Amino acid sequence: MTDLPLAPPDPGHAFLDLGERLRLRGQLEAALSVALAGAGRYPSLAAAHDLVGRIRADQGDDDGARSAWIAALECDQGAVGALKGLAFLAFRRQDLAEAERRLEAAALEAPRDTTILAALDRVRASQPAFREEPIQFDDPDAGILLFDAEGLRLAGGVGGAAADAADIAAAAGLGLVREADRTVRLLDLGECRHILVEGSRARLVAAPVAPHGGVLLHRPVTAPAGRVVAMAERAVAAARRWLEEAR
Amino acid sequence: MTPARWQALLEEVTLIGGVRGAAVVSAEDGLVVHEAAMDGVATADVAALATALVRRAQSLLQVLGDEVPRMVTLAATRGTLVAVQGKLDLWLVALAEPGAELGRLRLLLGDLAPELG
Repeated sequence: MTDLPLAPPDPGHAFLDLGERLRLRGQLEAALSVALAGAGRYPSLAAAHDLVGRIRADQGDDDGARSAWIAALECDQGAVGALKGLAFLAFRRQDLAEAERRLEAAALEAPRDTTILAALDRVRASQPAFREEPIQFDDPDAGILLFDAEGLRLAGGVGGAAADAADIAAAAGLGLVREADRTVRLLDLGECRHILVEGSRARLVAAPVAPHGGVLLHRPVTAPAGRVVAMAERAVAAARRWLEEAR
Repeated sequence: MTPARWQALLEEVTLIGGVRGAAVVSAEDGLVVHEAAMDGVATADVAALATALVRRAQSLLQVLGDEVPRMVTLAATRGTLVAVQGKLDLWLVALAEPGAELGRLRLLLGDLAPELG
């Protein structure tokens, strides 16, 4: 994990190259001066903040590095270098859940970067035992959405997407669950348990919580399919309890 | 692709334990293009229902900024329906019993689907 290569500097700004060279030579104070001057001059340039983050991390200033990488993500949500850097910091403090989440986000932005996938494997292998992610209906960023029998969103969200998108996803989720119910009825397959939808970027599971509605779980495509399904099954059980209490 | 090749491809799928049958389906109209060993089930129904399910899945995925689904799996108490995107708007669809080797089925369908067309 700690040897995860960091993103190369953007060649469009000379200070990035200079700062990176100084960093690699171990001249961290000089590198930081250059990087801070560049970040001050180009505050919306993610690569500048990323460089500051790398230098701060080399200096052992994890808080400073984190602030710089968060600033890089504010400039560009898909800044791979910042995502990798934040994963590195999380790994260093043994927050494996955050490390995994940051690396999954980085893998979505750079799906062919084998160093990210290898780091992701290492983070997952570092977890001492299967770690159950909490089922959080009240956190829109948790990627779990609960909808009612009319396709209205009851709670949760789809992980960073806007509230409008979550409302549309609730309606579309109900449509998928109803189509699945029709399919299992006409093919005599018993009762629908769930529908797993796999795209190029995401894995989704929609599951009925009969007769009250359903749940939708949204995860990056890097999440193992079996794990996503297992979590969806736990979400269905939690949704039943949530709905009973709400009623 | 020749009919013999279609047949060989689908028979490879039905050799997996617990797989009741497999079919190549046109997503445009939900019709069966080719099928193998779908005993006890109306293949035309499977094709039409799988196509409708894929369309619903696509609508949902697009809300979340993704594109066409690569694979859709419907798990039910008495069986599992798996649809995998191939070329030329063709989908490879398989119907399996509970307890089938789903992991192997998914891998094989994923390997074979690009050969469609």
